[in-house]
Parts: sequence; structure tokens; C-alpha cells
Amino acid sequence: MSAAIGTGDKKSVNVELNIIPFIDLMSCLTCFLLITAVWVNIAQLNIQPKGKTRDQAQVQQDDEHVTLSVLVQSDKIWVGLSRVNEFQEIPKKADDQDWDKLESTLKDHKASAFFTDRADIEIAAESTTAAPVKYQDIIHAMDLAVKVGFIDVGLSDPQGLAARPSL
Amino acid sequence: MPVQSAGPRLYKSIKFKHLVREVGSATGGGRATNISLNLTPFVDMMTILVTFLLMVFSATGQLIQAQKGLDLPIATARETLQQAPVIIVTKSEITYQGQLVATIESVLRDDSPTFKIDALFERLDAAAKKIKEDVVMGRQPKDLVKACEDAKANIRPQPGKICPDGLAILQADESTDARLINKIVNTAKAAGFDNLLFAVQNK
Repeated sequence: MSAAIGTGDKKSVNVELNIIPFIDLMSCLTCFLLITAVWVNIAQLNIQPKGKTRDQAQVQQDDEHVTLSVLVQSDKIWVGLSRVNEFQEIPKKADDQDWDKLESTLKDHKASAFFTDRADIEIAAESTTAAPVKYQDIIHAMDLAVKVGFIDVGLSDPQGLAARPSL
Repeated sequence: MPVQSAGPRLYKSIKFKHLVREVGSATGGGRATNISLNLTPFVDMMTILVTFLLMVFSATGQLIQAQKGLDLPIATARETLQQAPVIIVTKSEITYQGQLVATIESVLRDDSPTFKIDALFERLDAAAKKIKEDVVMGRQPKDLVKACEDAKANIRPQPGKICPDGLAILQADESTDARLINKIVNTAKAAGFDNLLFAVQNK
């Protein structure tokens, strides 16, 4: 492991460690880690699809509870409450949806008596050829919902929303 | 070719005095040619590099494959991905577990009332049945089998420990039309996938 140098001097206490195996190991480890490194950090958004399952013939509607629904359209976002039939329209800003307004609206709903102890929300996107909605917008809406505290996100068809604005 | 005298040689004609340390000078030998490179900065750099790479090392990114024409949407979500069947939607096609299922154009052109993608449904249906069988037979890791029991008892799963029964990953391009996402989600739901993990890129 070690070797004394300066052999001519009996009092020499110089010691040289053999660091070659250490450098070999470090070089191999560096190469392996550089090759296998993942530079893009991937995460997940967990959602529960709404709609018909394998065992259901019809979509089950929950008429007992008030449901918070978000409908993303190309030029606006609707936030609505089922049973109460209360809707809020959030128009698009110059080049993007008004995400700050959506976040504050969702925060208000989360703080309301209906949703203090609940975490469910349903989100839908209404896209057409003339007015397409991008996947990034759905993700953004879901991300805000999770951030606010609605962690049980359900993705639905626009027709399947519990609270649908009358267009 | 005539024999010529040798040209300049290292350490003889070119001295490299800054590299050469005459360690035998104590003994009086004047021709010692032992050289000693200072390896300390090199070892320091390697150590820092290895430490950094070990810190950023992540196995989760290998669950999904890089695809041409696929830019993941950006989100602030921090939950790590877990292993599940992967549906990939690029700018031009839909693949399931690396196999082409349909092209985007054909799916968007299809206005069938069933509102699902038949080719994808067949594959997902078969996969869902197999996963369900694996869970019932206990062929999944113990912690995931426990997660399935917890799910039946309506206990919220821990991050990365979701019951694999009915779990799939959707890896779609950020510019994908929402109609397509709706169709895929409907198809997955109809095939028995009640839990979808949307792969996103961290901000």
C-alpha cells in the first residue's frame, strides 16, 4: 500500500500512497456516470380519467356533491360549480391564458366551505380545428390545481363535466 | 537512406526542468530522471465530478424513452415517475411500448361515435388484463401489492408506490391537440386504466 522513498536517508518518514487504483476507479466511475446521467428531470402528474370504464355502460355522475369543474378553451377558461351552477369566465390575456387569475380563483374555491376538506377537481379541454387547445394548457391547468391543493385531478370530456357553462 | 544522428530528445536536449524533480539528489546522483506529475488537482477534480454525478444520478428518467418530435410539457410537479406501460404521442404518431399504433392525422380524422382509438384499445386491453393477473397472482413487488390492497381500502398511495393495476404513463408532446389527449384518455379508461401518469418536465 505504501512505499518509503528517500532510501538513502534512514530517518526519512516520507510516505507515498499508490493512488493509481484510486484514479482508475474514479475514471471508470466518471465515465459510467456521464454515460448514464439523465439531464432532463422528469416528473409526473397523476390524474384519474372520467368516463366509461370497462365495466360501466354509462358515465357515473355524482349528483350528491358540488363539483369544481374547469373547462379550458382556446380563448378563455371557465371555472364552475355543479348544483350551484355558478360560473366564472377567465378570458385569455394577450398571448397566453390568464394563469394567475385561474390560480387565485382555484385558491378561493379551495378556501370555501365546499372544498376545505376535499381535493377533487375535474378538468376538461374543448378543442376544435378552428380553435385548438394544446396539451401544455391542460398540463398547466392541472399543475395549478395540484399546486393549490386539488390533488385528485380528473380529466374529462367537455360534455362529461359536472358543471358545464351554457355556451 | 543514410543513417543520421538523432534529433533533439526529451529531458536531454529539451530539459523540461519544471517537470523534472531530482529526487535522488540527496544521494549525489546528478542524472536522475524521475519525474513527478502533480496529481492533486486531477484527483480533486475527479472527486468533485464523481460527487456531482452521483448526486444528479436518477433512474427514473430511464423509464421513458427520448423520441424524435417530442417535447414534454413543463410543470412544477415534483413526483417521480414509476414503472408502467408507456403511451407515447409525438408530433406525428402514437406508439404503445415502442410499437406504432396510429398516426395523429388518422386519429384526428376519425369522427367515430365510440370516441376511442381502436388499435390502442386492443393493446391496452390486453395489457390491463395481464397486469391485473400479475397483481392477483402476486407477481409484482411486495410494496406494490400492498399499494393495491391500500387502494382497495381507499388509502392514498405514497409517491412512486401506486398500484400498477390500471396504471399507465402518457408521454405526449406539449403541442398535442387536446382532442387527441381526450381520445387517448377515453381509450385508456375504457381499457381499464383508471390512473394515468402524465410525464412532464420539471421547471
